[in-house]
Amino acid sequence: MPYLGGEDTVRELRRALSNPNVQSDQLRYRNTILKVIRAMSQGVDVSGLFSDMVKACATVDIVQKKLVYVFLCSYAALNPELSLLVINTLRKDCQDPNPMVRSLALRNMTNLRLPSLMEYVEQPLTAGLRDRAACVRRVAVLGWAKLHNLQPNSEIDAAVVNELYSLLRDPDPVVMVNCLRALEEILKEEGGIAINKPITHHLLNRLSDVWGQCEVLRILQRYRPQSEDELFDILSLLDASLVSPHPQVMAATLSLFLSLCSGLPAVSLAALERVRGPLLAACGSVSRELRFTALCHIQLLLRSLPGLMGAHYKRFFCGYAEPAYIKQRKMQVLVELVNDDNVTMLLDELKGYCTDVNTDTAQAAISAIGRIGRSYSDRCLEILTGLLALKQEHITSAVVQTMRDLVWVCPQCSDTVCLALEGCEETLQDSQGRQALLWLLGVYGEQVSSAPYTLEVFIDGVRSEVSLGVKMELLTTTMRLFLCRPAETQDMLGRLLHYCIEEEPDMCVRDQALLYYRLLHCGIEETQKVLQGRRSDPSLGVLIGRPSEPISQWACSFNTLEPLRQGTVETDSTSRGSPEHVTFEPKPNTDLSDTLNFSLTLLLFLGDEKMEEDYMCLEEQIQFPAIPHCSPQSLQAAMQLVNIQTLAFTPPHTLPWRVYLYTHTQHAGDSPHITLILGELLYTGEANQRAVLKKALKGFLSILTTVLHTLSSERK
Amino acid sequence: MIHSLFLINHSGDIFLEKHWKSVISRSVCDYFFEAREKAVDPENVPPVLQTPHHYLISIYRGKLFFLSVIQTEVAPLFVIEFLHRVADTIQDYFGECSEGIIKDNIVTVYELLEEMLDNGFPLATESNVLKEMIRPPTILRSVVNTLTGSSNVGDTLPTGQLSNVPWRRAGVKYTNNEAYFDVIEEIDAILDKSGTTVFAEIQGVIEACVRLTGMPDLTLSFMNPRLLDDVSFHPCVRFKRWESERVLSFIPPDGNFTLMNYHVSSQNLVAIPVYVKQSISFFETGPCGRLDITIGPKQTMGKTVENMMVTIHMPKAVLNANLTATQGTYTYDLTTKVLVWDIGKLNPQKLPNLRGSLSTQLAISGNPRYIMTLKLSQLMLVDCLKVSRLDMYGEKYKPFKGVKYLTKAGKFQVRT
Repeated sequence: MPYLGGEDTVRELRRALSNPNVQSDQLRYRNTILKVIRAMSQGVDVSGLFSDMVKACATVDIVQKKLVYVFLCSYAALNPELSLLVINTLRKDCQDPNPMVRSLALRNMTNLRLPSLMEYVEQPLTAGLRDRAACVRRVAVLGWAKLHNLQPNSEIDAAVVNELYSLLRDPDPVVMVNCLRALEEILKEEGGIAINKPITHHLLNRLSDVWGQCEVLRILQRYRPQSEDELFDILSLLDASLVSPHPQVMAATLSLFLSLCSGLPAVSLAALERVRGPLLAACGSVSRELRFTALCHIQLLLRSLPGLMGAHYKRFFCGYAEPAYIKQRKMQVLVELVNDDNVTMLLDELKGYCTDVNTDTAQAAISAIGRIGRSYSDRCLEILTGLLALKQEHITSAVVQTMRDLVWVCPQCSDTVCLALEGCEETLQDSQGRQALLWLLGVYGEQVSSAPYTLEVFIDGVRSEVSLGVKMELLTTTMRLFLCRPAETQDMLGRLLHYCIEEEPDMCVRDQALLYYRLLHCGIEETQKVLQGRRSDPSLGVLIGRPSEPISQWACSFNTLEPLRQGTVETDSTSRGSPEHVTFEPKPNTDLSDTLNFSLTLLLFLGDEKMEEDYMCLEEQIQFPAIPHCSPQSLQAAMQLVNIQTLAFTPPHTLPWRVYLYTHTQHAGDSPHITLILGELLYTGEANQRAVLKKALKGFLSILTTVLHTLSSERK
Repeated sequence: MIHSLFLINHSGDIFLEKHWKSVISRSVCDYFFEAREKAVDPENVPPVLQTPHHYLISIYRGKLFFLSVIQTEVAPLFVIEFLHRVADTIQDYFGECSEGIIKDNIVTVYELLEEMLDNGFPLATESNVLKEMIRPPTILRSVVNTLTGSSNVGDTLPTGQLSNVPWRRAGVKYTNNEAYFDVIEEIDAILDKSGTTVFAEIQGVIEACVRLTGMPDLTLSFMNPRLLDDVSFHPCVRFKRWESERVLSFIPPDGNFTLMNYHVSSQNLVAIPVYVKQSISFFETGPCGRLDITIGPKQTMGKTVENMMVTIHMPKAVLNANLTATQGTYTYDLTTKVLVWDIGKLNPQKLPNLRGSLSTQLAISGNPRYIMTLKLSQLMLVDCLKVSRLDMYGEKYKPFKGVKYLTKAGKFQVRT
């Protein structure tokens, strides 16, 4: 940061520091040093004063010492040779009768972080471990960790490690926790500190200060109790901290609980119930950041216990003054909490948020209504239609996108949507919204009377269109509309194709246009087959609400930064292209780093050639043992055990009976990316009956995984 | 754990940085500034940002950002709570937490940060313990210091750290032994247009000021402890005893501290002390509108409502307001579009009213939002937590005891 007169300041300070009159007057000397620190904190480069400051270090005044140390630690790396001069004073201070001085010296000796000084530091550190004052021991223990960080590849001194292990029994709780921290760092390569039964119980019985408690609980996650009795002993010790007033302790305890009880789902569920109070309290905390984090963790909990917060839905209503990131999270939670009793109330509430000043929040509210619309379509469509009347640009855009997504899932609402669409093209400005509108016009062209006129406006303006997505969508829509209303559309389709093939600079659009052109040459039937082949199947009943996931699915990400990150992707997904354009994307469908939300629409398209090919070869490889009677519910339950979720199935007693499945695996590699696996199960009811067993499904899963993996690696 | 801390002011300047491990360049904050730019409003900056090599976790307090840089995966609640603790400590030491105050006391702040974390791990965070190592500045002491040249640093070993009770120092002595408790309840409520409560809860806090000699053991009991939904205590409170007997038993820290926080969220219990009758309309014909607000008491149990203040966030299109208030004064900030009506004491005989016209641009978008702040002193609401008695064990003297009740509006909103 540029600072006016930086050089002058340094020169003046140097003069003052080396002035014998100043040096003899303790107060003036200290004030000068104070000025140096001030200048340093303002960003002035005062490293030139290093040698003068080193001299100032030899003093009995503790404040002056502290100030000089602050300076030295910041600039030691630039002056390793001169730093050698300080060591002597520091070592002398380590012998001081005042423990404050000893700990101060020891701490700053290690804070200099100069490998060249290591040999001088080791001896005082060893002595520090045996100091009678706890505050010196605290510093000495961490000092070893700092030394190790300086030379991470050096040999670990076994004597030191043993000493540290024995200090775990130190009477001072902070020394104990610092030992844990130090050992974790020093023994990182070996996987951290070795946790055995005596250490565990010693640590658990001496949980004291808040911060240490969190760390102990985190480290104990590595411990596995040897017997069930021991496990329950530990759990009952932890029980009180599960409802700790400090949210960080509560979260750490729950995290440990979940890892200990991974084999006991009932206990874990009881623990989740128990933390409901503290979590809700954190949601009402004064600190926004705390509220946000608590909300993110509640979202995790809801994945396993959708009913956990049902009665408390009002706690998630947004206040005006809340920041946008909290509002958006709260809405995501509210969507999960919808039921028959509170749906009216919730929708009223969400309706209020749709006109929020912050456009992101408004759009999030609209898409939240859309999500609820999957179960309560009539009421939601009423609200969405009402919003269109406001003629606000960002609201209209979000509403049209939401309607598009809704119609795809619930085709029965298409009538209302088509009525509402009239006239909203005037307010739509952004590309996402127009893409959505075009898609709707294409698919439901015969129901929207003004569709060709709307399209005509778009086609006339295609020359000035900048968005690639809109152009692609426009092509598809015009083709579709041509199929159902040829008389009105033929002329403009010709114009559009001509423009796209002859003048369009973008290769993607040109190729697409050429493709359609050739397709038209194949005859109307072929074209119809290609363009109108796929519709969402209204007979597929989409499962209402998410099925509750097993806790193990998210337990490892509880109390980490993971849940705080996820949401950002999720809100984006609403502004993706229309569902069908997925097939045009160059990305292979095996590499889906998209969100689940999005993958739902994807699945219906995954039945394309590549996938079917894979699937065909599968069918021959797996022998499904025949099971005569298998209800959809038991099937679903069995599959959830192996982490396969049902997406949709046809109503029971219909033949052929179909189930769509998905599962996803997470790679722990350098970049966390998700592979999504989709499958269709067919039950024809004929001789070659196929039913599902857990084991068979596992095989199914593993084979699918290998197939998809080879596929994705080939494409790379 | 916590690698570095940057303090950033409202306009985006870093005015303090502290590194507990190796020095990380300031350029890491660029990711934060980018997010800050995108969020427009500083409040909307997401608290956790991910950069290629670090995580940035920040809190926003008193128009300052406390930005911590973290290299490994951590528990977010841990870091956020710690940052708040840093801000609390600064507030505790200097009376407020602002850029000016921190710059004036930059050296003490550095000392504090040095003591609070070592190698990135929290070390001493209890304000009682810190105050013994680094004495907070007072006017008297700074005068004495300049005269005698003595220092702000306690040169004795902090004794509290070695006593069995980590939050209380040993050998406390007072001539007057006093214990005061403030029961402060904040009502968070959302009222809809017609005045019915959409959502209401009470956030309560008991602030204590205890100046007692020796090692007193206090027991505080309530008339109606069942009322409390979620409670959280200062670490000194014996939790087991609360769970079994519903009394607070504790050895208090010395001086001021927050004894407990609680919530009362059941809707029918929360009585809203005032009502608001409001109408606001914008004429379609011309560039003006009309505003009329009346405020009256409701369920105050005969107590007076003081410091009543109404804040109205107007739509952007409202250019000016020409109003008359029967009581109090009003101001309208043209840039932020915020109308503040300071009423003061609420007189039940003559209800305060604010009415008049608004001049607007032609296009009206959005509804105005009301946020009210009010204070009720000495008020006993139906559902107020009541202290029944305070007993002291372990010491022989008789302390002076006092309890004060206060109800305030927290996040109190009226919708239009």
